[in-house]
This record gives sequence, C-alpha cells and structure tokens, in this order.
Amino acid sequence: MKLTAGTKIKSAVCSLEAIVIRPPSEEADLSCGGVAVVAPGSEGTGAIQLADAEPGQALIGKRYVDLTSGLEVLCTKGGKGALSFGERALTPKEAKPLPSSD
Amino acid sequence: MVEVAIYAFVPSTGAALADWGADVIKVEHPETGDPIRGLSSYGISPGDGGVTTLWEVFNRGKRSIGIDIRSSEGRELLLSLIDKADVFLTNFMQPARAKLGIDVEQIMARNPRIIYGRGTGQGPLGPDANKGGFDGLSYWSRPGVSTAAMPPGSDFPVMLAGPAFGDIQSGMNLAGGIAAALFRRERTGQGAVVDVSLFGSGLWAMQASIAGCYATGRDNIVQLDRRSPPNPLANIYRAGDGRFFVIGMLEADRYWGGLCQALGRPELAEDARFTSMALRAENAAALVTILDEMFATMTLAQVGEMLNSQEGQWATVELPGDTVNDEQAIVNGYMQMVQYPSGAQLPLVPVPALIDGELPQLKRAPEHCEHTDEVLMAAGHSEEEILNLKVGGFIG
Repeated sequence: MKLTAGTKIKSAVCSLEAIVIRPPSEEADLSCGGVAVVAPGSEGTGAIQLADAEPGQALIGKRYVDLTSGLEVLCTKGGKGALSFGERALTPKEAKPLPSSD
Repeated sequence: MVEVAIYAFVPSTGAALADWGADVIKVEHPETGDPIRGLSSYGISPGDGGVTTLWEVFNRGKRSIGIDIRSSEGRELLLSLIDKADVFLTNFMQPARAKLGIDVEQIMARNPRIIYGRGTGQGPLGPDANKGGFDGLSYWSRPGVSTAAMPPGSDFPVMLAGPAFGDIQSGMNLAGGIAAALFRRERTGQGAVVDVSLFGSGLWAMQASIAGCYATGRDNIVQLDRRSPPNPLANIYRAGDGRFFVIGMLEADRYWGGLCQALGRPELAEDARFTSMALRAENAAALVTILDEMFATMTLAQVGEMLNSQEGQWATVELPGDTVNDEQAIVNGYMQMVQYPSGAQLPLVPVPALIDGELPQLKRAPEHCEHTDEVLMAAGHSEEEILNLKVGGFIG
C-alpha cells in the first residue's frame, strides 16, 4: 500500500494501529509481525493472530523509524507485532542531538 | 519543577533538587533532545561503557517530556505545566527566552508564586549579558582560576579540570538559591527570580585569591615551589611506588615532633635546622630533600601507615577513577552505583548536602521523551489529544 504522511495503517496479525508521519523515499512493504499491514476498516487477512509478543513489539505513543528510507510511523494502538519495512526492522526513534565536543 | 535547560550547568541544579526529592520534569526538543546527549568531552563519548555518561550525571531521577516549545501548541502545554510548578529552571539565553515566551515577566505573570531559576554565563546585566558561556570560559578562565592554577614555569594556563567542573558547582549555587527562595515564599507567599552565573560562581570560588592579590599588590597568587616551600609540612610528596600524597600540617609546630617519631626519624626533631616553623622555612630545601629521599624508599601504603600513627593532616592524591573504591566515600554514601537495564552501571555522586543524613536512591536518567504521555495524561490530556499533538510534531 502507498505510504504518505497521514496514512493510517493497521496490522493484519495483531491489534497494532499506526499513522505515517514521514513517508519513505523508496517503495517496499510495511509489515507487522512479518505480514503486510492493511488499511484500517479493511478486513485484513485475519488468518494469523500472533500468540506471543515479538521482540521490538510496537508500543502506543512511540515512534518507529527506518533510517535508510526516512520512514517514520507513530504507533496509535499497541500490538504484539514488531514493524518492518522491506527487509529492515523499524527501530524506536531516538534523540538526534548535534555532535558536540570539547 | 519544570526544567527548560541544556548541557550541564542548570541541569545539574535540577539533578541536585531531584536528589533532594523534587519531581523534575525535563522539557526536551522532540527531535534533537538536550545536546548533552551528543556531547563528547575529555575523551568521554556517548555510549562509552554502555551509557551516555554526561546525560546520566546531570539528569538522573528526572522525567523527560518532548515538547516543541517554538509552536504555540507546545508553548501552551509548557505553560500548563508551569501553572502547577513550584520552580522553573532555565539556562536559555534572554533573547531566546523572550522569543519563546518563557522570559521572567511571561512566566511570573502566569504563575506569580513560581521560583524562576535563571542560569547565565556572565550575569543578566552588562555588555556580556547575552553572550553565551561555558564553564571552561566563564567559570574557569575569566575569573582567574586557570591562571592561578598554572604551575610555575608553565607556558599556558591550565584548562578546566574535567567535564562540567564549573557547571556543577554553579548549579549547586543555583540549587541553594532556589531553596532559599522557596523558604521566603513559605514566609511571604512571594515568587522570586534566582540568578546564578558561571562567571559569578567562578569569582565566588576565587575570592580569597582575588582579595589576597589586591591586598598584596600582586596580579596573581604565588604557586609555591615544592622544592623549597614556606612550610615543608604543607607540601606534595611522592612515594617510592610513584603515588603522590599531600601533607597539610598548617600548624606544623604542633605536629613536627610526632611526625618525626611516626616516620622513625626522632633525630630530625632535634636537628637545630628544623626546630621551629621559621627555621624549617629557612632550611626548607634541605628538609624537603631529606623527606623526598626517605619517602622514595617506601610505598604509599607504608607511608600511610606511618602518617596515620600521628596527628597531623595528610591525604593521598587519588585519580578520579580511584575514588570509586575509596572506602570513606562508600561508607558515607558519596558514591552510588546506578544499574541500567542493559547491564551497564555507573557510579554517581549524590547531592553533597544531606538532610537528616538521608541519602537519595539515585535512579537512571530518562530516555528521550520517555514520560511525555505519562506527564500529559496526568495533566488531564486525553490519549487522542496526545496522539494528535504527536502527529502534528508538537510533542515527542
């Protein structure tokens, strides 16, 4: 699915919901729990539901980024799955202070 | 308490107050955070030892909220926190504070009972009021610390003794001022502005030297030559194992006999060259030579055993890294090992003024924006409101 700023997405395999804050510079699938995410309101696959929380599971209120493509999403509802973009796992957004030294 | 401050000086005030039990909310930029998170200083870089040391030291025990206070939405959130705060801390420069709407008049108008703690480089008045500062400049260089510390024969003044050395002392001065202002508020109900600058703190630290230079007509204090000091019993020495120690027997006549006994050299006490303060000053070079030769044959442990058996004052010279294992520091709680979820640990020093001997239990510093949701929910904002503010980029 096309990811632009403001696009809302929903996991196909858990309760996760998120909103795209910054779109990626390249095209690839945004996935949760290894399955491509869907638009909210769509039926999704529903076939798989994650039983256990994955390492790096998305938490509500947290931002996740793919540093390579610039994709940033904000998790609006937590879930058991972890987010990935193409082959790359999204990582929690961290502070980006300017390098400084004395 | 609400802190809008960066680097070390005013954040160290927040750390001291947090150690005393204050709930300090640190406001950070939602994208960049406090620049000290990225600071390398004296070979200590973010991530060394599994932690960002300089961030941890100055922000332990606080909560972090990410707000873009340049936006009107962000500023309103900040002001809503200030409505309920006892203390506001900042070291943003005046033009930035005015532009952001967080200058004294604006904050005091919003909450007249607040204590506004303001840290500056050079003080709020005068030609350098709006000039930035760091402790290496404003605390260490301009007040004459660096020149007073120059060893004789050195080509250049000494640079700052370590990261944030002057910041953390200036920060403690500000913490003291805030405690006093809170006491006045308790008596009068009045809010207050408390000003501390790095420059003023440096002058405060140097005032005995400054007044002494004035009184003696000099422009610098005299760093003593250890080979012939006025009092060889107030001097630095080296043991045979290369470790240094300082003897500081200012009232040397009281201790001279006991010292000679303790060192196993009772004949020195009878030596006519050394029997009084004045004679030891006159023959200082000879006495230092004798002591140097004697100490060169012993380890520091052996010297320590002898010096501990007499009454005069002395101390080992420790390296900063040694102090972690100093029994006296550990027993008094001057050193606390803080544990991190990653398994890393860091020795932190609690606020040095203990009330009723109560030691704070130091906790790690917050992750960037770790408490945004918690703080805003407690302030009455709904989950949906918070998410919308995040989508808008006003909070992190």
